[in-house]
Amino acid sequence: MSDEQIGRLEVQLGRLLQAGVLTSAACLALGLVLWMASAAAGPANALLTIGLMILMATPILRVIVSLVEYARMRDWFFVAMTVLVFGVLLATVTLAVLKLRAGS
Amino acid sequence: MSLSIIAAVVVAGAVAGGLGSLLGIGGGVFLVPFLNAGLGLDFGIARAVSLMTVIATSSAVSSGTAGRRLINLRLGMLLEVASTVGGLAAGVTVARLSDETLSIIFACVTAIIAILMITRLEKRNVLEEDADPGAFGGRYYEEESGRDVVYRVKRLSVGMFASLLAGAVSGTLGIGGGILKVPVLNAWCGVPLRAAAATSALMIGVTAAASVPLFYARGEVNPPLAAAAVIGVLIGSRAGLWFGGRARAKWLKLLMAFVLAVVSLLYFKRALG
Repeated sequence: MSDEQIGRLEVQLGRLLQAGVLTSAACLALGLVLWMASAAAGPANALLTIGLMILMATPILRVIVSLVEYARMRDWFFVAMTVLVFGVLLATVTLAVLKLRAGS
Repeated sequence: MSLSIIAAVVVAGAVAGGLGSLLGIGGGVFLVPFLNAGLGLDFGIARAVSLMTVIATSSAVSSGTAGRRLINLRLGMLLEVASTVGGLAAGVTVARLSDETLSIIFACVTAIIAILMITRLEKRNVLEEDADPGAFGGRYYEEESGRDVVYRVKRLSVGMFASLLAGAVSGTLGIGGGILKVPVLNAWCGVPLRAAAATSALMIGVTAAASVPLFYARGEVNPPLAAAAVIGVLIGSRAGLWFGGRARAKWLKLLMAFVLAVVSLLYFKRALG
């Protein structure tokens, strides 16, 4: 994979991270204001939850996009590394979902 | 939870984020003791809320540096294998650690960070060589010198081990862990300071994402508190970057090393007293 391709990927991932952090910050800020006004508990909680979910999902999405891009570049070593990282994240999310299910 | 606590957390987040970006470390190491020792929240809640701000910092900083080739995506991806394993291992096992054990670990890590800060007061990026960067090395344009900096990565196994450790510490204490791996990457692995910092900033987000969903499932991510802290940290780190150009970091590093030493003593006392 060339320096140019890697540079493009860097810019692409940067945009993804920015979109993620801005969307999540907007949800969290709005949710927090509603929560403090204690006017609308339902929408406030929903916005806070959505904001936190987007925040946690952003780095995971970054790994998925990297995986797709490395595969397109046919750089199999990095495909393998990315798959490993994704596997760890998948294990975390699976354990978390199992725990949430058991708790509810 | 009262409005004044939310306001205090926004301010604390802003201060932690601002200090973090001025010092080149995450704000978590200041935020965790503030939430835990300052506001009296459980260590688990302080850790979970702080890890949320670590992800926000990682995304915000990395989107700011992307495109300048400072982030070494190849090296980062490889080291993330180790750091996420460390994060997941911490996320699974940390519930079994007693408060005393956590306090001792936190005291030791803050002491180490304080010492690292003092020993690296004058540390600047001096490495410059004209060579083939190899499989994991990199090349970026340095504005001050006006030329390309090329580097080769040495002792990858040391970098992997440091990342595993930083990931485990991150998931255990709720800090980013960059302060622990950046010096290793810089001193032992041949990565210039800026590239090490930018690569680490990208890595801490996915490292936190390997543990924080578990804390979320345990109900430790208090939504309004996390929102307040994240917004505070985002505002603070932006302000920190803005001031960063003109502020001299040396006295600030000394001051913060002192603050961390006090925090370290406080946690030692908690564990033993």
